[in-house]
Amino acid sequence: MDEKLLEISNLRTYFFTEAGVVKALDGMSLEVYKGQAVGLVGESGSGKSVTAQSVLRIVPRPGRIVDGSVKFEGEELLTKKEDEMRKLRGRKMAIVFQDPTTSLNPLYTVEKQLTDILMLHKDLSKDDASKQALHLLDRVGIQDPERRLKTYPHELSGGMKQRIAIARALACDPVLLFADEPTTNLDVTIQAQVLELLKQLQRELNMTMVMITHDMGIIADMTERVTVLYAGKVMEVADTQTLFKSPKHPYTEALLKAVPSVKQTRALEVIPGNIPNLIEPPTGCVFHPRCKYAKDVCVKKEPELERVEEGHYAACHFWRELELEGRGG
Amino acid sequence: MSEARPRRAASQWAVAWRRFKRNKSGLIGGAIVVFFILVALVGPYLVPYPARSYQSLYEGDAGDPPSFKHPFGVEVSGIDVFSEVVDSTKNDLYVGLAATLITTLIGVAIGALAGYFKGAVSDILLGVTQMFFVIPVLLLILLFARVFSVLVFKGLGLTLIVLILSFFGWSSIAFIVRGETLRLKEMEFVQAARSLGARPFRLLFRHIVPNILSPVIVIATLNIAGFILTEVVVSFLGFGDPNTSTWGLLLNEGFPYVRTTWWVALFPGLAVVFSVLGFNLMGDGLSDALNPRLRE
Amino acid sequence: MASLVRYIIRRLLFMIPVFLGVAILTFFAGNAAGNPINLIRVGLRNPSPAVLRALEAYYHLDQPVWLRFLYWLGDVLHGNLGVSISGRPVLSQIGPWTFTTLELQVLSLILAVVIGIPVGVFSAKHQYSKTDYAITSVAIFGYSMPTFWLGIMLIIVFSFYLGWLPSNGAVSVSYPWWGSWALDPIAHLILPTAVLTYVSLATIVRLVRANMLEVLRQDYILAARASGLSERTVTYRYALRNAISPVVTIIGLGFGAALSGAPALETTFSWPGLGYAFTQAATNLDIPLVQGITVVITVMVLVANLITDLVYAVLDPRVTVQ
Repeated sequence: MDEKLLEISNLRTYFFTEAGVVKALDGMSLEVYKGQAVGLVGESGSGKSVTAQSVLRIVPRPGRIVDGSVKFEGEELLTKKEDEMRKLRGRKMAIVFQDPTTSLNPLYTVEKQLTDILMLHKDLSKDDASKQALHLLDRVGIQDPERRLKTYPHELSGGMKQRIAIARALACDPVLLFADEPTTNLDVTIQAQVLELLKQLQRELNMTMVMITHDMGIIADMTERVTVLYAGKVMEVADTQTLFKSPKHPYTEALLKAVPSVKQTRALEVIPGNIPNLIEPPTGCVFHPRCKYAKDVCVKKEPELERVEEGHYAACHFWRELELEGRGG
Repeated sequence: MSEARPRRAASQWAVAWRRFKRNKSGLIGGAIVVFFILVALVGPYLVPYPARSYQSLYEGDAGDPPSFKHPFGVEVSGIDVFSEVVDSTKNDLYVGLAATLITTLIGVAIGALAGYFKGAVSDILLGVTQMFFVIPVLLLILLFARVFSVLVFKGLGLTLIVLILSFFGWSSIAFIVRGETLRLKEMEFVQAARSLGARPFRLLFRHIVPNILSPVIVIATLNIAGFILTEVVVSFLGFGDPNTSTWGLLLNEGFPYVRTTWWVALFPGLAVVFSVLGFNLMGDGLSDALNPRLRE
Repeated sequence: MASLVRYIIRRLLFMIPVFLGVAILTFFAGNAAGNPINLIRVGLRNPSPAVLRALEAYYHLDQPVWLRFLYWLGDVLHGNLGVSISGRPVLSQIGPWTFTTLELQVLSLILAVVIGIPVGVFSAKHQYSKTDYAITSVAIFGYSMPTFWLGIMLIIVFSFYLGWLPSNGAVSVSYPWWGSWALDPIAHLILPTAVLTYVSLATIVRLVRANMLEVLRQDYILAARASGLSERTVTYRYALRNAISPVVTIIGLGFGAALSGAPALETTFSWPGLGYAFTQAATNLDIPLVQGITVVITVMVLVANLITDLVYAVLDPRVTVQ
């Protein structure tokens, strides 16, 4: 079997704010095998980005990892010293952030942002690093890379900025890449290009990718396995095809129904209600206030992640009984 | 059936008020401001000696240090410092509040016009605003205060100072308002109103201005603090109104004799520090409350 | 590089109408009583005939107002600031005063920046800690008090009560402080510098802290950490670099504000600089002198602003694009 690259178990990351303790991740688990393209899906506020930040241990203040285990290449990351983590960041694991306008430093040229990382991890001279940077720009499909090297981010379009952010993430050939909503802030036409680029790069570099998104369409297009996250907890885990054909959790069903398709004849269903208050989350099943199948036990008892079949797990009291609607393809 | 508390739909202001209540330093500032307002309104009726009175001279208490009879001591001239500090409160607050009111009106008008319209008008307004922002304003205020206070405007008293402060002090508000107007102009709700046929001035004052209130309120509150400090400097140097009690005037009277009657410099100064502190803290609290920055 | 030069030229061109504006305001103030001589007479019933003649010529009283302004402006730009009511030419006195004022201002500014920036960074990085609260509280008191009043308080404590430091002048007259003529000026500098530095510090710390907090929240800082850069690199080369530009502007404006505060501060310490001279001149209604000092201080402020603009543009090239 392939080896497990990343194994997150029961991760809890809380934010200690003036308003209260925000439980961004509350017992979340994830398994990623080498070479896989895995999806992490959920609405905004479900804890998706915090997962990536937790793995790299760059959760911003006032957030802190309070419990759980994160194993990367077999080693426990949560007990590592800070300078050991720093050697991994950018080198073995990297993140592509959602908004390239804010994730690129506005005061540094493209060249500097790339060479900084190259020189840090690869011990290259400035000239060699510049040459590498040029090569990176080429690889992410940027035309006229020599000129682009000397430009500042504010002089570039959204799509180009994101390509550069991708180049920065891939600078040192990481084995694990988190793509955190990489196309959400881009135009629709550019979105397709960037996704295509990511797919291509993942193939070429045999990179393990975790695609974080709220868009089920992207999940269908880009991933082979997917975890559904809600209010910091895992609702369902399955192979992408299985999840789409036969979802076993009401939240998954609702997410699938919210994606428009050409063949659609009925109205789009919006999931009623808002994401829960993470300071005082609902009792029992976190999803029960918005679940149309909820019963008494859902308010009282938190469901555990139960095995539906090999590789398919769902956290719902009634996954056996419910006949949920999937999507054909 | 659900036990999650439902989210109450709340107006922007209710949310901000709730946030302000949680901000400790903002509340302290607000409390201090309320205290000074009360002192200003009620104090003059409760003090032992009337304003600018040399009575203590005849009682033989001139130049006395703080005591039960004179909590803040007595000036060499016989003026009771405690009564004067209390009496000055309303005058200093008057200067701060009046100047802020006028500068806010001027600043909002100029800023909104500069931000909304394009072309020569806007450029000139921006240039003038920048000019008043860059120049050594306090210096010119001192010059104007001195020169005009010796002329026919004697009857105006502190109002002269208010006018001079207002003439020079509107640029910070104008800048913010211009920035916000520029930003809001491009937003969709303005485009929507325009598409429904709203004319420029209506757009400006019914749609844009209400949305710039938040930063304006913050800056205005901080300006009150600044104007009080400026008034203190003007009066301390003797360029203010010698017939109206202000904290600055007290410092002016006390400074030459500070070696022996240090209390005359201490207490009015403390009054200034705490009143200004109050407005500064309140301004900071308002800033935090009206400008949410928490990521969630 | 070219855009930088063009930007500086643009700023320089901007300073010209600003200077003109101040010149107009200053001239207007001097003519508040119709002409400067009338105003002088309010303060000085019988000025010396020689001085009167010199000033009447200098102000071209026989001309209409706008021509008088142009004559005066022309004179000013050529360095002719007239004579004060004491008879002495204004310009010749301004040199030593300027030096004395700058001595105090520049020293305080340097100290405030050198101490203020690291303290602000520290405070931001340790937000919500007790040290942060302490620093913020001390800072907020700092800019809530009149600078000169703090000076008076320190004089009361350190000069009158403890006798450790002198309370007036830049140098002693008969007996050197601490028994040494070399140390004497330093003794005199300590209190006024401490006061001015503290107040400037307060603003700088607050601003650096606020900007750093804002910048540290940004995604590119998170991305920098995600790339494996050390905390020190992230804090100083990335965060501070991005946070510092507005601080530079405020430092420039703060210098102007501090110069504006010189009259009150120098009067408190009898510090023989431009501020003290300004106060005396304004009190005596010595119009040529007070106008001259105003012009000189304005020029200093504008130059400081230009330097600030230049530094800002070097730090943040985005501003050179129109």
